[in-house]
Amino acid sequence: MQDTVAMVDDPEYEEEEEEPSFSDPEDFEDDIEDEELLEDILREKPQEADGIDSVVVVDNVPQVGPERLEKLKNVIHKIFSKFGKITTEFYPEADGLTKGYIFLEYAAPTQALEAVKNADGYKLDKQHTFRVNLFTDFDKYMNISDEWEAPEKQPFKDFGNMRHWIEDSDCRDQYSVIYEAGERTAIFANDAKDPILAEERARWTETYVRWSPKGTYLATFHQRGIALWGGEKFKQIQRFSHQGVSLIDFSPCERYVVTFSPLMDTKEDPQAIIIWDILTGQKKRGFHCESSAHWPIFKWSHDGKFFARMTTDTLSIYETPSMGLLDKKSLKITGIKDFSWSPGDNIIAFWVPEDKDIPARVTLMQFPSRQEIRVRNLFNVVDCKLHWQRNGDYLCVKVDRTPKGTQGVVTNFEIFRMREKQVPVDVVEMKESIIAFAWEPNGSKFAVLHGESPRINSSFYHVKNNGKIELIKMFDKQQANSIFWSPQGQFLVLAGLRSMNGALAFVDTSDCTMMNIAEHYMASDVEWDPTGRYVVTSVSWWSHKVDNAYWLWTFQGRLLQKNNKDRFCQLLWRPRPPTLLSVEEIKTIKKDLKKYSKIFEQKDRLSQSKASKELVDKRRAMMEEYGRYREAAQQLYQEQKSLRLELRGGVDTDELDSNVDDWEEETIEFFINEEIIPLGDL
Amino acid sequence: MKPILLQGHERSITQIKYNREGDLLFSVAKDTVTNVWYSVNGERLGTYNGHTGAVWCVDCDWDTKNVLTGSADNSCRLWDCETGKQLALLNTNSAVRTCGFDFSGNIIMFSTDKQMGYQCFLNFFDLRDPQQIEDNNPYLSVPCSENKITSAVWGPLGEFVIAGHENGEINQFSAKAGEILKKAKEHTRQINDIQTSVDLTMVITASKDNTSKLFDSNSLDHIKTFRTERPVNSAAISPSMDHVVMGGGQEAMEVTTTSTRIGKFEARFFHAAYEEEFGRVKGHFGPINCVAFHPDGKSYSSGGEDGYVRIHYFDSHYFDFELEA
Repeated sequence: MQDTVAMVDDPEYEEEEEEPSFSDPEDFEDDIEDEELLEDILREKPQEADGIDSVVVVDNVPQVGPERLEKLKNVIHKIFSKFGKITTEFYPEADGLTKGYIFLEYAAPTQALEAVKNADGYKLDKQHTFRVNLFTDFDKYMNISDEWEAPEKQPFKDFGNMRHWIEDSDCRDQYSVIYEAGERTAIFANDAKDPILAEERARWTETYVRWSPKGTYLATFHQRGIALWGGEKFKQIQRFSHQGVSLIDFSPCERYVVTFSPLMDTKEDPQAIIIWDILTGQKKRGFHCESSAHWPIFKWSHDGKFFARMTTDTLSIYETPSMGLLDKKSLKITGIKDFSWSPGDNIIAFWVPEDKDIPARVTLMQFPSRQEIRVRNLFNVVDCKLHWQRNGDYLCVKVDRTPKGTQGVVTNFEIFRMREKQVPVDVVEMKESIIAFAWEPNGSKFAVLHGESPRINSSFYHVKNNGKIELIKMFDKQQANSIFWSPQGQFLVLAGLRSMNGALAFVDTSDCTMMNIAEHYMASDVEWDPTGRYVVTSVSWWSHKVDNAYWLWTFQGRLLQKNNKDRFCQLLWRPRPPTLLSVEEIKTIKKDLKKYSKIFEQKDRLSQSKASKELVDKRRAMMEEYGRYREAAQQLYQEQKSLRLELRGGVDTDELDSNVDDWEEETIEFFINEEIIPLGDL
Repeated sequence: MKPILLQGHERSITQIKYNREGDLLFSVAKDTVTNVWYSVNGERLGTYNGHTGAVWCVDCDWDTKNVLTGSADNSCRLWDCETGKQLALLNTNSAVRTCGFDFSGNIIMFSTDKQMGYQCFLNFFDLRDPQQIEDNNPYLSVPCSENKITSAVWGPLGEFVIAGHENGEINQFSAKAGEILKKAKEHTRQINDIQTSVDLTMVITASKDNTSKLFDSNSLDHIKTFRTERPVNSAAISPSMDHVVMGGGQEAMEVTTTSTRIGKFEARFFHAAYEEEFGRVKGHFGPINCVAFHPDGKSYSSGGEDGYVRIHYFDSHYFDFELEA
């Protein structure tokens, strides 16, 4: 580095120019406000009311005499200096003992608030539980008027019947369609013949939409936040302001919605993730978030009572509606890699990788008791994935291992039987690498796609009650990379999406037969309707710019409709709320199914013939109109015949055989075939 | 129906045309070659040699005496149909995109592209006046400054030319003085092809906006619309039945991103009155660029991006088929 030369010592400098003047011109008036220049300093300027807002009153403090006062003060200090700097403390006395309540002043009102939040209810010992309040609160409560004023009546916002769509007499499920590259969103009722439009709006959402888990709300995304719509006319139910929101998640009970935005976040006021109460629209709590890579960050228990998230070495479980940490502290689990809630009970499964001598473990923990109901050690683990069966009856842990002495990775499925005492675990060994795995939603079967492209096989297993896991069937040479079970179980679709060009196979797993093999070229998505009657395969504009459409199939693989939509992007079925029927009632209905099916078939036949009659009538009308036009055109044509003859020198060319005399007959021979017939030995 | 495959071109077919009686089929392509074939068996008669650039259009007069071709080598040429001799060479300033003989066969029209600073022109020559040909001086030259002409056909009596433009417009240009007699703007994107019905009372347009429309030639009234999900490159009206055939695909550039399956590009048949699709014929390895019905309605041909021309003779099912009404 070059030595710096002092400007003053530089001979050139002195001679060169006069030092420029930095003073303001004579009549310059300073027009910058103090606030602008000194903002940070001004913030700390002592304000009049400051002192009072930083004071807290602590009640239920032990009454002690002067000999124990020092000790008491130390204890109080230790507890309360956690929330901030205590600038003043006052222990009022009477008759030689402390009165039992003290005043503490903090350096800032925020610290006082922290103290109130965290120390209120603190159990010092058996007889003394601190009550902490802001000093200003006393004032507030004292000043409440003695006259009771009835709270203002808020107008009742009637959104109509929020479950209106379920009451459709033909049991049509609804689905949302985003098309025209996101410009238009429409809601259709699904009918085997043609979709029936229920609602359609331009720019309803800016990116995509989400249904709530029971289908009550449709959430749309906007730059400033999200909006929820529902009811028969899809009125706006609620709005949540969260700038730049990009991801959302609903609680299973539909009471809360979690929004994530990568934009807003400050140290004091965590805003990256916000949890909202849907009915009141209130912000319940905000959280920090580093990255949204594994959304949803917060996983909900099936009943919405708890939600949890995993951070480095920690599992934090919160309870609703308080939004506070369960037992006021997180679980420290060193090395925790992944966790998930059982969809049927308040149990969390999590796994921890190997740590020196301790093998990798999968643990099942019950909440709120925090009791470990099952621990399973695993050896030589590379990775684990947790797959719960939809009712929480089984948990499958897919374990990738490198057995000692080998280089390759093998996969085991550890199947936990949740409904049996002490949760026994069975192991299924897989020889090939796994492409996809899926549980039957309400049954005890699972399907696996394994192998390496192009030799991919599909296998179907049944977890039996007698402790065995049986391979029911295996199909080889499948063109599939994803498994889609019907929500009612028994049927599934094996699909080869994207790179596999949309090959589809419809399977009935009751006897493992292929019901149909079909193709929807370049399909990017497969969606079952909530009842398991229909499947929609679609080519989304987001993955493929041509041939954007969605096709409707029956669960057996029969193609019903091809719906082309300009720049079609996404189709989502509207979920149904859980049935209100009891198990007995369902049994009775199934018994009487024959009676009902007669009525349904008749209805179907009527609507079919009505449709064809409509079509026939339409065609007849079109033909008549066309016929009239052609007649008029023909008439004009005839009138112009003389003009035509003139143009062609008298030759009539109106019909191909108008000039039979001109024709010559010619016989042409064509070479057709050559046949060599051996004549045998002569 | 088993098609007859005509292999005479090395590059994509740009246009095919039957003569009035239907015994000959002309095909032109980007490989500068102009072929003529017997439509009954696919045997090739010969070629018309001379063009040095892609040949965009071809037409034959009503008497099958003369053949007219237009090319990207900036020329429009007249040939003797039987001998293949070049009868006239008309040089232009830019590529000749569309050409045709009028009803009498005496007047020819062709349009030139908007290229290299030159506007699009619609030129008319009267063949009865050899001076016009010798001097390369059309008796009428209509400029089209705004949207260039992409396809054009003559009206029923040679009084006007119906032209389709790159913005979807259709105009009737008078062949006497060149003024626009009627307009129609029904398409939203470029008109790729216009063809007439055999009696010249109707025209069908094929457009990049994924539809094909039927118009009355005289009034330019919009009669019918046929919708697909792909750009339509060419359409033709059946001479004997209420059918239309359409061929398309997509831009040659986008082909590899979609179907790489063999022979899956299809010609689609629609019922002209019901506007409903009732059949498809597969076979081409690339988008179909031109379709044409044989004047007797018993067969049709298609020329594709793959350089093949396929002649299909309909079997009895085609003629018996009826949509319920």
